Amino acid sequence: MSIIWELRADKVISALKEGKRLDERAFDQYREIKIAKDVYKNADGSARVVLGETDVVAGVKFVLGEPYPDMQDEGSICIGAELLPLASPAFESGPPDKESIELARVVDRGLRESKAIDFKKLCIKEGELVYLAFVDLYAINFDGNLFDACSIAALASLLEAKIPKVEENKIVAGEYKGKLSLSRKPVLSTFAKIGTNMLLDPSLAEEKAMQARFSVATTEDDMLAAFQKGLGGSITKQDVDYCIDTALKKSKEIRKLL
Amino acid sequence: MKKEKIEKIVYVNKEGKRLDGRKIDELRELKIEAGILAHSSGSAYIEWGQNKVLASVHGPREVIPKHRADPYKAIVRFNYRMATFSVPDRKNPKPGRRDIEISKVCGEALERAIFLEQFPNTAIDVWVEVFDSNAGSRVAALTAASVALADAGIPMRDLVSAVAVGRIGGNIVLDLNKDEEDADDAVDMPVGILPNFDEIVLLQMDGLFSKPEWEKAIALAMKGCKEIHKKQVDALKKKYLVEQKEGEQK
Amino acid sequence: MKRIVVPGEIVTEERKRLGEHTFLRDGKIYSDCVGIAEEDPKIASVVPLEGSYKPKINDIIIGIILSEEYAGYTVDINSFSRCFLLKEGIRDALKPTTVVSARISKVNELNEADLTDSRPFFGGEIICVSSVKIPRIIGKNGSMLEVLKKGTGSVIVVGRNGRIWAKGGDIGLLVRAIEKIEREAHMEHLTNAMADFLSEGKPKEKLLEKTVGEEK
Repeated sequence: MSIIWELRADKVISALKEGKRLDERAFDQYREIKIAKDVYKNADGSARVVLGETDVVAGVKFVLGEPYPDMQDEGSICIGAELLPLASPAFESGPPDKESIELARVVDRGLRESKAIDFKKLCIKEGELVYLAFVDLYAINFDGNLFDACSIAALASLLEAKIPKVEENKIVAGEYKGKLSLSRKPVLSTFAKIGTNMLLDPSLAEEKAMQARFSVATTEDDMLAAFQKGLGGSITKQDVDYCIDTALKKSKEIRKLL
Repeated sequence: MKKEKIEKIVYVNKEGKRLDGRKIDELRELKIEAGILAHSSGSAYIEWGQNKVLASVHGPREVIPKHRADPYKAIVRFNYRMATFSVPDRKNPKPGRRDIEISKVCGEALERAIFLEQFPNTAIDVWVEVFDSNAGSRVAALTAASVALADAGIPMRDLVSAVAVGRIGGNIVLDLNKDEEDADDAVDMPVGILPNFDEIVLLQMDGLFSKPEWEKAIALAMKGCKEIHKKQVDALKKKYLVEQKEGEQK
Repeated sequence: MKRIVVPGEIVTEERKRLGEHTFLRDGKIYSDCVGIAEEDPKIASVVPLEGSYKPKINDIIIGIILSEEYAGYTVDINSFSRCFLLKEGIRDALKPTTVVSARISKVNELNEADLTDSRPFFGGEIICVSSVKIPRIIGKNGSMLEVLKKGTGSVIVVGRNGRIWAKGGDIGLLVRAIEKIEREAHMEHLTNAMADFLSEGKPKEKLLEKTVGEEK
């Protein structure tokens, strides 16, 4: 951790002692979010999300495959994430490390467990051929809270995704047969624990200062679809309750943008 | 078809008994042994339901490569591995994404328990091998690892006790087994705590449930963790208490 | 009867000074390890039953020379980091694998130690035990060590790092005696029990399956 970040982390903590965040946001306030949809033409669905200065790109590609043995009439999704070295001096090039694996799996959890996608609709021929929707996320600038930025980008790209036409068990390039429709819009909300405070949408400086991290995915019908506590600190039940209540409230703002 | 069969399964019957006869707040049978490996700093073995998990601790020791060391505290490197024959379909021995995520969250759970600042520039390596599994292998791994760390004499604030709770067939239950985990509307929530301080160090959730269900689930998890804690303490004290009794008889 | 505690277990809720292996939280004193809670009216402390050696200034240790550097030697003392022994004051060069006793002169915050006052050993045996049991093997004012020396007739040098060098006398008996202390370290009146054990001559006890204390 370079010395500048240690100084910033100290500033975060001293500002909190006076009940303030460095960028003067409320404790339960998201930074400005910009969502651009359908940006990459070769992708079957795509989106770019900028949250504060965290910048994430998502693209969907449908691939044909065999169904899993215990789900013969269902397709599936597979989420991958890459933290590109150009996004931050902290990211190294190479195969996905544990940070990007955790990120991908948490985003996946929110989407999958909320039953937003009807996997039966992705079945072409039971037991033989299904669609697998690969959603790949690339972080191109890291300014804190990749979790929420990636989750919004993945969701936005899937909402735009068009299902390719299939003829003779092969995908017909450039031809589509309608959109992938989602029955729910799960939104992930991530909080940083600093001292005894839980801060929504941590900025980069706040991430440097945080002891623990907690993410919760919520749906528009007030259901909880995923939890993930991260880092080496601890949280209390009261912390989780606060995060759940705040996430249920604030996710509605995000859903309006999608 | 499998789906029709599931609709007919009654996960909790009218007498409050589950598929394997347990009550909704009952743990599977479990047994913990501490200090069973001669060459580790500390070790523990746990049999929990069908799970059979071995944990071993090495260190604190030198960090190689050196640039990964932290000059202010020890780093924890948790390695969760499943043997190829530990699951019904042979598992690829190479660690997959699930193994990596579990290693990460379990290692992070232990960080809060250990007085890491006492060992700057070192690494504490925890190796956990799952030889047989049936739901809850990650909480078994974390529970065993915590006993192994105490067995190694590494100073800790508290042990880490972990258990998974969930919902099946509309009921909030403790310690799901594999049949229950596979249920259609299942929710699986592994929880790890410092039992003397009620600090949550591991919390994940897979599934879809409501806030009132969360309240029931976390309360049941805390209760379950404390029962696990008693077993961990017994395992650590066991070898000394037996000798103490013998000593008194002399 | 001595009370065995585990990490996170309360040692006392009274206001006492914090001794070894304890920490204070919300006005209560807790243990940080598996050990024996000492009964003392003024200080709350725990004597660990498990653990590896943490170098302390002025401890006498038994080390093994690993390699020769320009100004000294690196020495293995069975702890987290290797130690350094300066060449200054050493007459004859020390070869790798030589066993020495030495005193710890300095420890930095990374638990790396400097050694001085080294003395090489020739012949004899090294017995390894858990370093937390060493205080028991020495005993109050060296009483246990005296019992061991007299009972076996061996020359014995005890290193705080869990290594014991012994030569002459009945080494086999010494090994069995040390194993017994290791097993019963937490029990009362151990010195008397050991005196009885050693004066029985050759006891008919069954030999243990594993060898004396593996290096931790």
